[in-house]
Amino acid sequence: MYCILLSIFFPILAGLFLLIRFRTPLAGEKKNEDRKKLLLLTGTFLVTTALLTAAALLTATERFTLFYLTETLPIYFKIDTTGTLFSLLAMIVVLCAGFFSFEYMKHEEREGRYYGFYLIVFGVLNALCFAGNLITFYLFFELLTLSSMPLVLHCGTKEAVMAGLKYLFYSLCGAYAGLFGIYFLYQYTDTLTFFHGSLYVTAIAEHGGFLLLIAFIMILGFGVKAGMFPMHAWLPTAHPVAPAPASALLSAMIVKAGVLAIIRVTHFFGDDFLQGTWVQTAWICLTLVTIFMGSLLAYREPILKKRLAYSTVSQLSYILFGLAVMNEEAYIGSVLQVLAHGFVKAALFLCAGAFIYKTGKTRVDELRGIGREMPLTLWCWTIASLGLIGIPPTGGFISKWYLAIGSLKSNIPVLGVLGPIILLVSALLTAGYLLPITVRGFFPGADYDRNPLEKKEPGKLMTVPILILTTLSVLIGLFPDSVAFIWH
Amino acid sequence: MIILVIIIPLITGILVPVIPFQKRWQKEVFLETAVVLNSILVWYLLLHHSTSTFLLAHFTGDLNISFRVDGVSMVFAGLVSALWPFATLYAFEYMTKEEHENVFFLFYTLTYGVTLGIALAANLLTMYFFYELLTLVTVPLVMHTLTREAVLASRKYLYYSLGGAAFAFLGLIMVIVYGTTTDFILGGVLDPAKINGKTNVLLLIYVMAFLGFGVKAAVCPFNSWLPQAGVAPTPVTALLHAVAVVKSGAFAIIRLTYFSFGTDFLKGTWAQDVVMAIVMFTIIYGCSRAVKETHIKRRLAYSTISNLSYILFGVVIMTPLGLAAALTHLVFHAVMKICSFFCAGAIMHQTDRHYVRELDGLGYKMPCVFGIFAISAFALMGVPGLAGFISKWNLAQAAVESENPLAWGGIACLLVSALLTAIYMLTIVVRAFFPGKDFDYAKVEGAKDPNWQMLVPLFVFTLFIIYFGLCSQPIVDFFSNVAIGNA
Amino acid sequence: MNFVCNFPFFSILLSLFSGTICSVLPAKAAKIVNRVVIVVVGLLSATLLLYLISVGEPFIYWMGHFPAPWGNEIRAGILEAGMALFFCIIMYLSMAGGAHKLFDEVDESKHNLYYILVNLLLSSLLALVYTNDMFTAYVFVEINTISACGLIMIRQVGRTIEAAVRYMIMSLLGSGLLLFGLCIMYDLTGHLLMSNIKESVALLVASGEYQIPLIVSVALMCVGLCIKSALFPFHAWLPDAYGYSTVSSAAILSSLVSKGYIFLLIKIIYRVIGFNIFNNTRIIDVLFVFGLMGMIFGSTSAIRENDVRRMIAFSSVAQIGYIYMGFGMGTQAGMVASVYHILSHAATKSLLFIAAIGLTEVSGGSRKLVDLTGSGYRNKWAGVAFTAGSLSMVGIPLFSGFISKLLFAQAAVQVEGKMLASLIVLGISTILNAIYFMKTVIRLYTATGNSPYRGITFGKMKRYAITLIFFILLNILLGVSSQPIVDLIEQGLAMFS
Repeated sequence: MYCILLSIFFPILAGLFLLIRFRTPLAGEKKNEDRKKLLLLTGTFLVTTALLTAAALLTATERFTLFYLTETLPIYFKIDTTGTLFSLLAMIVVLCAGFFSFEYMKHEEREGRYYGFYLIVFGVLNALCFAGNLITFYLFFELLTLSSMPLVLHCGTKEAVMAGLKYLFYSLCGAYAGLFGIYFLYQYTDTLTFFHGSLYVTAIAEHGGFLLLIAFIMILGFGVKAGMFPMHAWLPTAHPVAPAPASALLSAMIVKAGVLAIIRVTHFFGDDFLQGTWVQTAWICLTLVTIFMGSLLAYREPILKKRLAYSTVSQLSYILFGLAVMNEEAYIGSVLQVLAHGFVKAALFLCAGAFIYKTGKTRVDELRGIGREMPLTLWCWTIASLGLIGIPPTGGFISKWYLAIGSLKSNIPVLGVLGPIILLVSALLTAGYLLPITVRGFFPGADYDRNPLEKKEPGKLMTVPILILTTLSVLIGLFPDSVAFIWH
Repeated sequence: MIILVIIIPLITGILVPVIPFQKRWQKEVFLETAVVLNSILVWYLLLHHSTSTFLLAHFTGDLNISFRVDGVSMVFAGLVSALWPFATLYAFEYMTKEEHENVFFLFYTLTYGVTLGIALAANLLTMYFFYELLTLVTVPLVMHTLTREAVLASRKYLYYSLGGAAFAFLGLIMVIVYGTTTDFILGGVLDPAKINGKTNVLLLIYVMAFLGFGVKAAVCPFNSWLPQAGVAPTPVTALLHAVAVVKSGAFAIIRLTYFSFGTDFLKGTWAQDVVMAIVMFTIIYGCSRAVKETHIKRRLAYSTISNLSYILFGVVIMTPLGLAAALTHLVFHAVMKICSFFCAGAIMHQTDRHYVRELDGLGYKMPCVFGIFAISAFALMGVPGLAGFISKWNLAQAAVESENPLAWGGIACLLVSALLTAIYMLTIVVRAFFPGKDFDYAKVEGAKDPNWQMLVPLFVFTLFIIYFGLCSQPIVDFFSNVAIGNA
Repeated sequence: MNFVCNFPFFSILLSLFSGTICSVLPAKAAKIVNRVVIVVVGLLSATLLLYLISVGEPFIYWMGHFPAPWGNEIRAGILEAGMALFFCIIMYLSMAGGAHKLFDEVDESKHNLYYILVNLLLSSLLALVYTNDMFTAYVFVEINTISACGLIMIRQVGRTIEAAVRYMIMSLLGSGLLLFGLCIMYDLTGHLLMSNIKESVALLVASGEYQIPLIVSVALMCVGLCIKSALFPFHAWLPDAYGYSTVSSAAILSSLVSKGYIFLLIKIIYRVIGFNIFNNTRIIDVLFVFGLMGMIFGSTSAIRENDVRRMIAFSSVAQIGYIYMGFGMGTQAGMVASVYHILSHAATKSLLFIAAIGLTEVSGGSRKLVDLTGSGYRNKWAGVAFTAGSLSMVGIPLFSGFISKLLFAQAAVQVEGKMLASLIVLGISTILNAIYFMKTVIRLYTATGNSPYRGITFGKMKRYAITLIFFILLNILLGVSSQPIVDLIEQGLAMFS
């Protein structure tokens, strides 16, 4: 119990401490000294939190009620396998991106604010993974939105602030749609606790059609955070303006909160209730549209980080597609895709961050010859790209394989077959928007003037996190069984 | 005893301009003592209440002016008396910059008594009487600055309120003629034998009376007075236009619906649908206008319009659960809104900035004020763990439970409104704390948090917001008991 | 026969006679005589009222001990005595409140003339109240008209002449119509005494003969009195007459003269035609509609007005609309409400006129609303009084206006077909009242900061202020203890039939 609580509240309190301690911008001669102190503190807090989280995961059977908001609304925590998976992913991504920031954020202002909110987000992510009922989940879902918004608008340009607000309002809109459903579920179930909660049989009989509508609204609502069409527009706006490590966290983990929410909600309604209904059909359609559209938009996008953002839109819907198909293979595919995409996308964003940090180049066409300057980074980029496209033996291949199998086995007319086709097309597009960077980076072409190019490989604080993430993205493909505890 | 709590503020108020105070602090001490004493008296009365009726005077026939403490009046009187001492304290500091202090405090304190009169009224006539009086004693407060704008605003306020009362009066007549008594009895007093085929007329008059009292509760389309009345000094806008006056309207509607016409008579009729539709529209309308508004206080006023309709939404669900939810929001919204208004007032008082666009970067100079403003914003949005979530939850539960499809639509309105609330509240917070890269901090040089007289109420209200968010059970249980007549 | 029964006759004669005396007295003495007469008549009426309450039934007084049809009769019931008392109170207060203004407005040589007119007016009012004879009523209607006309044009400034002429023409038209109606009635029944006419009318209706002439006669009498009491749409003469005459005249005219005619109409309805017979004609529907329209149009005209006196005058049109709406309901309750409103409006309207004069005095004599800005601070008592009067007009509880609104609404609910119309118009009219009265009140209390006009202290206007206080008290008395008054009105109406 204490480990769980500590893993949640320690980073939140630590973040608040940083916010208050370093509230004024670091400036003048004291800057370096202060910055060292800040980094030291942040590093300690991050590692401590990671250890606490690990400890919490080891005591995985624990469940307890922290507090009763009202007699019928407990704040309840519980670690289950899905939560464990997401929490692991969160821990790794947060640590990697965190240490990457130490270097990357050197020239930014108001680092205290950045790390403060960064830590808070860490705590909230943990809480989200460990939440044991819908109310607790909703509480931290809201908090996640509120605490991650400052990361998005950190650099403070007008564009960034507007993007932050857009992110905020889209997310809240989604969360409220979810809340709408929770209001009704509360009436038609005995408890909102995951696994125990289930709909009253009488309620299904009386309000079946209406409950389906509720389910759809909830999926749509939480789907906003997961960038599902038609509410995906915040994603390509918010990602590019955020600092690269923040984008990595956002893209690899925070959007997955939406996925987690949808897993929880569909679980709540039960596959039996949703299978074969119009909700499933509509949902699959939406995910397929998103997959295709996301890839296409990414393909046409000239700005690197924005391209990655569109790619996220597309890849997340792979996960949602697997969930929507609702059979075991597809579920396995989804879970693997969560991990694979998490590692890959974090690695890609960090690479993009490294490019920007070292060369200041943000557009894809400016990156010609980058392989000369930063070979290690580009190699990592290439490997991660292969993972995203789904080339064996990377993680992306395994997950997509399972997704396709699941889809074909599902016996859903038309869509069951259409799904794998779209996955394939999207994979082609993915290759189309990621690989040119590698190719042009290493082979800028005969006419390209290579003289100004010189070694600019970033420091260890940047390369090591990238390397770790890249390695993990390959490892997950080699040893998918290591996470098999999820579906057993 | 019960009449005493109404009379003390009236006398105190009248004494303010009469007693020749030598120093300002003497006046402050005198006023604050009287107000606190009265509040203590009110609470004593509420906690040791007897259900007996205190008859002050006969009017005509069996109409009389009388007072009684019952559950709903406990809620409203308790709320008002709890907030007034804080608001007075805040007003001392605020009014140092304003003129005609005596007149201000005269009417400010009178309003206290009159509002308690509304809360403690035992029958519809008494309530109507104090309702009219409330309009009259608050007009000078709106007019306070005597600018052209203030005069126009008070004129409008007066027309709207008196006009509303004229139609509420029709409701009173109906209850007199078709009811067994004008006393407030949970479940209504209409006599079925007398109604006899006049149901539709009665329903029509109910809708009129609802709109009539609704004028004070700023129901669309009678809400435009409220944002205009924001020209009044902030203690007035905060306490009166977020709590006392506007909630008197909501309170009067509760009395009219549950205690005079009765939910049995109204539930499921076209009248319920009509008023619910009006209320739902107001919820959305208020929020949308708030989003467009750039003046801080007017923005908050529009927010009040929308939130008042939350209360009314609970009321027109017309179930005990609905009433309990309405009472919850009545109390919780009071705390949240007064908190945000005081923040706005503190900003205006400290920096003399009135528009949202001028707030850039102030968050670093006034961290307490903007921190508290952020908390009240989260609470108004309905973030779990803060007061707003609980009341919204209860409203939604009441609506779901009522099995009324229109009410289900109302839940959607609540949520859309929550989103809009986020937009209009958080843009302020974001501006204050994230002014942008190129922001010149010299612009906010000199701004700082106000002194303790202003901060203490702010902190106390914030504590209440959090307390109500975390430990609402006892108070919500009490509201539920009130709603079924057990208190 | 009790000695008290002589009192009605005494009071009429006393005021008539004092009028004559005043013509030879100097102004000061005339003023004293006038006041004394009003007080004495008031006391007589009060005694009479107490006597009648204790006896519980009306009496008929034969002038010169000749029985009908040769003699002339006076009849007194609770309502008559009460009305006489009330008229005296209002008249005294109006005279006292406007006295100081008289010197400015009226030529020195005409002061005693003024008092003659007031005395005549009082006597004619009393006669209208007490008489039981239609022809006597007509005679005193004419006396009333003449004296009222004199009161209007005694201030020979600006538009008063025009106003007086207009008043004269409209009034004479009204009395002419009344006379026509009277002639037809005499033709049909052969009587002039009210009680006798009533018997004959009842027989006529029962037999079904001469229905049309009967209706025509009733209609003519009604229209005649409506014109004289300024029911919409016959109100054209009113704003100028009330707006430009001296303040006492305006107060008296608006609160007493028109009310005298209305009272006469009530008497005709009850004592001449019979309440039920009257209600069976379509005339009450016409009155009802005109009443409602008056309530709306009077107020809208008042909103447009920017002269405070004329605004108050237009408000009278609206208030008279209320009274006729009560008639139009055709129920006992409606009638009670109307009678109560006669009292309430008289008390309020004269208060407003008197208060308005105090406000204009401290605003350089200008009656434009713009110039009145902030005058509530300059003349505190007048400001308070105007506010009180306005609140009463708007119908705030505690003031008399609320009770009459309450009574009207309660009466309206009991009338099937007219309920919604009257309730809604009542509501709208309240809003309209609120608009123009409250607008003015707010203006009174909007300090301009550097007003060119000087304020006035309590010491310089003691009498005026005391008058105002009495007016306010009268208003609150009517508003708070309305039950006994309503009971009396009900008894009085019961004595009529």
